[in-house]
Amino acid sequence: MVYNAATGKAKPVEEEIITEENVYDRPDETVGFFPTQVLYDGYVSAFLLIACSVLSYYSPAPLSEPANTATVDYVPRPEWFFFFYEQMLMFFPGYALISFGAVAIPTVFIVLLFALPWLDRGPSYSPMKRPFASVIGVLVIVTVLLNMLLAVSRIINFPGQ
Amino acid sequence: MIGRARSQAADASKFVVDWMEHRTGVVTHMEHFLYEPVPKRGAWVYTLGSACLFLIALQFLTGILLLFYYVPTTDHAWDSVYYIMNDAYFGVLIRGIHYWSANFLMAVIGMHMAQVFFSGGYKAPRELNWVVGVVLLLLVIGLAFTGYLLRWDQDGFWASVVGMKIGSYSPFIGGATIHFLLGGDTVGPATLSRFFAIHVWLLPAAIAPLIGLHLYLLRRHGVFGSESEYTERLAKLHETQRLEEYSRLEMGDDPYDDDDDRYGDNGSRNGRE
Amino acid sequence: MTELQKDPITRGDFLGFGLLGTVVGAILTIPPVAFVLSPVIKTDLLGESDIDEGWQEVASVSDIPTDEPASFTIEFPIEQIYAGPDVQNQFPDEKRSDEEFTLKNAVWLSWKSEINHDTGKIAKVERPSFLDEKSSGFSESEREELKKNINVLSNSCAHLGCPVRWLINLDGKGEFLCPCHGGLYDINGTYEGGPPPRDMYRYVNVKIEEDGKLYVKHGYDIEPGLDKQQPYVV
Repeated sequence: MVYNAATGKAKPVEEEIITEENVYDRPDETVGFFPTQVLYDGYVSAFLLIACSVLSYYSPAPLSEPANTATVDYVPRPEWFFFFYEQMLMFFPGYALISFGAVAIPTVFIVLLFALPWLDRGPSYSPMKRPFASVIGVLVIVTVLLNMLLAVSRIINFPGQ
Repeated sequence: MIGRARSQAADASKFVVDWMEHRTGVVTHMEHFLYEPVPKRGAWVYTLGSACLFLIALQFLTGILLLFYYVPTTDHAWDSVYYIMNDAYFGVLIRGIHYWSANFLMAVIGMHMAQVFFSGGYKAPRELNWVVGVVLLLLVIGLAFTGYLLRWDQDGFWASVVGMKIGSYSPFIGGATIHFLLGGDTVGPATLSRFFAIHVWLLPAAIAPLIGLHLYLLRRHGVFGSESEYTERLAKLHETQRLEEYSRLEMGDDPYDDDDDRYGDNGSRNGRE
Repeated sequence: MTELQKDPITRGDFLGFGLLGTVVGAILTIPPVAFVLSPVIKTDLLGESDIDEGWQEVASVSDIPTDEPASFTIEFPIEQIYAGPDVQNQFPDEKRSDEEFTLKNAVWLSWKSEINHDTGKIAKVERPSFLDEKSSGFSESEREELKKNINVLSNSCAHLGCPVRWLINLDGKGEFLCPCHGGLYDINGTYEGGPPPRDMYRYVNVKIEEDGKLYVKHGYDIEPGLDKQQPYVV
């Protein structure tokens, strides 16, 4: 690392020769974590806290009827962040495919997430310079969003809901 | 008179600071923590991580508060949540913050992951921080899943039943998975107790040290941000490389002759940290 | 900072560490794991069940409508942690919470029906005609016939366990519909469409008393090898 406690916030020594090894050692422009970044973090946190507080009165945390195991007319729905997963299950009928869609695919996806740093070892950081990873990432996001939309439309259109 | 008081106060505070520093080293640590240089351009984007931290802190705080009234039994769980919502002072707020910050947390974690993914922040030497982040994501998903049942209302109950049934389709361990979650071979009091134990103790106890590790690794290698934070330095690097290329061609050397990876004398990129 | 002192590890040290590690490790791993996994061990290895194995009353056969299913509530006593009969027997005078000792479930009862394959409507209902004359005092053979012709279906969808409902289409065709992912079954619980892997779960142990009351025991028509999927809400 180029910077240390002695140089502190000061600009890096300009005589530094930039090589492939040290180019990412420190950014072009830096700011001290305190106060600038702390203040930004504080703004975001305060915004979130205020949003949570306002929402808890404007739209209180739901509490439906007490659990009834013998119901025949209740429509179970997952929380919104599981919509895409729930929707995915629609596409996998039958014993073999349910296991495949509900367990195997998510497991493989999680393993790939863990392995990501070793799958993408190229020297480039910019998403433009590693199109394969970026395209996969965009595809995953698009798939999740599309599935969420499908789930929402299915839930809205469900008879008797 | 005022001047003397002021100088005495300054002396006293300096004494306290020195005393603490000598005993604990906390002052130096705080300075390192607070004055580390971080990338300047995308500062607003880099608040996503700390927003996650803040939301999880809110979860811990409001979760502990909710435990003052919540009762994890099938005949009283719903009643106690109802009490929190209707009788306890600020119950709506405390439970509302727990609920809404959990929802925000899922969204912010998604954004945080996407930001790190697209900026390549998981690359060497930050691989393990990505791995810890994925573990944290799974733990948060587990917390979201187990927390939903605790209200013991229709929404939470049936969503959890569906979730557990999904687990029963796991190859080879399907039966063990669902019997572990149910605490038997049917939904009942044991199910609620288990979900309570997992939601309130097991997963928070796992998540807290991992957040510490996540932050430690972050600080160890510094905030990466994205490549746009390094454009000037990269431009300079490319300029130098081009000049070197020219000078070699002028001297009639084959640039790839003796230094075929073009990384200078070290010949290796492993030294970068 | 003092310099690090790296003493060699002797054979005795090594054995000591090994012994400590084994003893402490065994105490801190095996009992906790067995403690947490005891439901798995009891259910999967020992084959025990939390659900009472006795007969439970469902309804009277004369309450079953002619051409559509009706749902009835069935209540199974269960034995799970603080819901055990031990505690109840120990303190018979104290009325402890009722809710924890039983689990209710909805059952769909209907008469077996032939389905017209073109329209999907019910073509013929196998409802014994003697039901029009009497609602109790059935003879042995009549009870056999009743039992043979009744569908006793769990309302837990064979896909992911959501509660199914009876729905009449716009063209008058009746079906069981799972509200979660749109699984469809006909009146006999036979799979018709959607993601479910099989027919609806059917109670296999059914008995009808002379007074026309229908009783079931917990247990479903599960194909061997596929016993991991069950209606877990009893």
